[in-house]
Amino acid sequence: MTRVRNVLLIAVALILAAIYLFPLYWMYVTALKTSTAMFASPPIFAPRNPQWGIFASVWQERHMAGYLWNSLVIATSAVVLIAILGVGCAYVLARYRSVWVDAGLFLVLMLQVLPASLMVTPIFVGFSQLGLLDYPRLATVLAITAKAMPFFVVLVRATFMSVPMELEEAALVDGNSRVGAFFHIVLPLARNGILVSATLIFMQAFGEFVYSKSLIQEVGLQPASVGLNTFMGPNSVDWNRIMGYASIYVTPILGIFVLLQRKIVSGLTSGALK
Amino acid sequence: MRNGLSTFWDGRGFDLLLVGIPLAFLIAISGSALVYNVVMSFQEVGMFTLGSFVRPFAGLKNYAEVLSDPQTWPILGNTAIFVVGSLSGQFIVGFALALFFGLKFPGSTYLRGLFLVSWVMPGLVTGALWSWLLAGDFGVVNFFLRSLGIINENIFWRSDPAFALWSVVIANIWFGTSFNMILLSVGLASIPEDLYEAASLDGANVFQRFFTITLPMMRSTIGALLSLGLIFTLQQFDLFAALTDGGPNNASNVAQYWAWQLSFREYDFARGATVSVMMIIVVIAAALFYVRSTRHEVRG
Repeated sequence: MTRVRNVLLIAVALILAAIYLFPLYWMYVTALKTSTAMFASPPIFAPRNPQWGIFASVWQERHMAGYLWNSLVIATSAVVLIAILGVGCAYVLARYRSVWVDAGLFLVLMLQVLPASLMVTPIFVGFSQLGLLDYPRLATVLAITAKAMPFFVVLVRATFMSVPMELEEAALVDGNSRVGAFFHIVLPLARNGILVSATLIFMQAFGEFVYSKSLIQEVGLQPASVGLNTFMGPNSVDWNRIMGYASIYVTPILGIFVLLQRKIVSGLTSGALK
Repeated sequence: MRNGLSTFWDGRGFDLLLVGIPLAFLIAISGSALVYNVVMSFQEVGMFTLGSFVRPFAGLKNYAEVLSDPQTWPILGNTAIFVVGSLSGQFIVGFALALFFGLKFPGSTYLRGLFLVSWVMPGLVTGALWSWLLAGDFGVVNFFLRSLGIINENIFWRSDPAFALWSVVIANIWFGTSFNMILLSVGLASIPEDLYEAASLDGANVFQRFFTITLPMMRSTIGALLSLGLIFTLQQFDLFAALTDGGPNNASNVAQYWAWQLSFREYDFARGATVSVMMIIVVIAAALFYVRSTRHEVRG
């Protein structure tokens, strides 16, 4: 009885997942179609003559190496900066209970919710007055850091809450300094949670668009999200090539996600609600 | 008590340093941007005064201009439709999926987790995917709708003023449903099993159990999720950039996209700042509600 039930439920679950993930399938399939197959009616659901060459040619023609390199530089710098600043902040906010900690948490939560598209006007004007726009990627990294760090703090704080404080106290009794106990005891225990949160932030920063689009004018310094936006244009019909670009851009993210799925999901749920 | 510098590696100073530097950074960028936003909304900002901090004081002129602009109310109306449409779609589909995956079966956790790809993908890619899915002549969505007999003629989702906003709503529902589902699953899992058992013994059917146990027990989760959803929906920008660019003729424009267009397309930074300030007030109100719904959990 339970076996029949399970088989039935798994079948329904697979169908639901297939429907939900169809847009991704359609992206890959379209990328592999010829220009005529792409516009066939009725649509072709399994390409007969896959054009594997499209990826190399889009990569070349759209200068994707440069775009993806910029995405990587921006996302990596932002994550490193966020981790350096955010881990300590999350630790202190998790370790104590006081009015000040509540106030700090409140501030962090409030800064987390400010939409980038509403903050970019003063950031653009202010950064240009300070001369920061001469270093557009740095300016973007700073803006992304300020935007994404609060979320990171919330997630990592949840991790620190689950590290028993007795372990740190024992280390202090054994003669460790606070710095020593922090680096040798607390950080290693929270390492997994920190890595998962950093991965999540990396994926967000890798796809960031508003700040990159507004602060980086020079095409050679723009990330892949802006490159995709430029490629799409208002009347574009090159859908197989656009889907080829999208596939190249998104596949690494999908790979990371599938590998770390379980941890990402649990890290996310512990931070956002609990 | 030791004095001097050693407090920074072995005392209170260590904590202050750890929390002080990041908060100072956040305040230096986000905090001052917030203040600067408000300041600019009361100034005249032209091409020539852009580089100087001292600009003519405009009083409430920017606000009066925005409020009397014939574009404003339709755009605010669109924003409301976008928020309500996206939120209810994400929530209802997400809740249905969460209930389904709550019927534990082998692989349910893994399959449920896979849905979250829609949430971690770059927004521009999601936008590109849906632009193609919703294309007028060759879009596969139109093909499905025609095959099912729901429509007779192709809908030009992105360019028809009656549908443009809905094309973004559809893409946004797809994007956010998985996040809703995951968080609702957590809430569902925390309801004690014996409550349901007791209710079935008392003869409650599925619907009675849902409305008398599930919904009331999920109240704080749902409150937190809806305010979080409102916050995320008001942050949505990428899908507008990829799908409709706010067009045609502002038919799908929303406040957060318009604010950006005013600044970066029309170079009217004062009005861009004014619209931003007005929307930030809405977002902060939603955030206060979110903090209230999660307060007991945030405090641990």
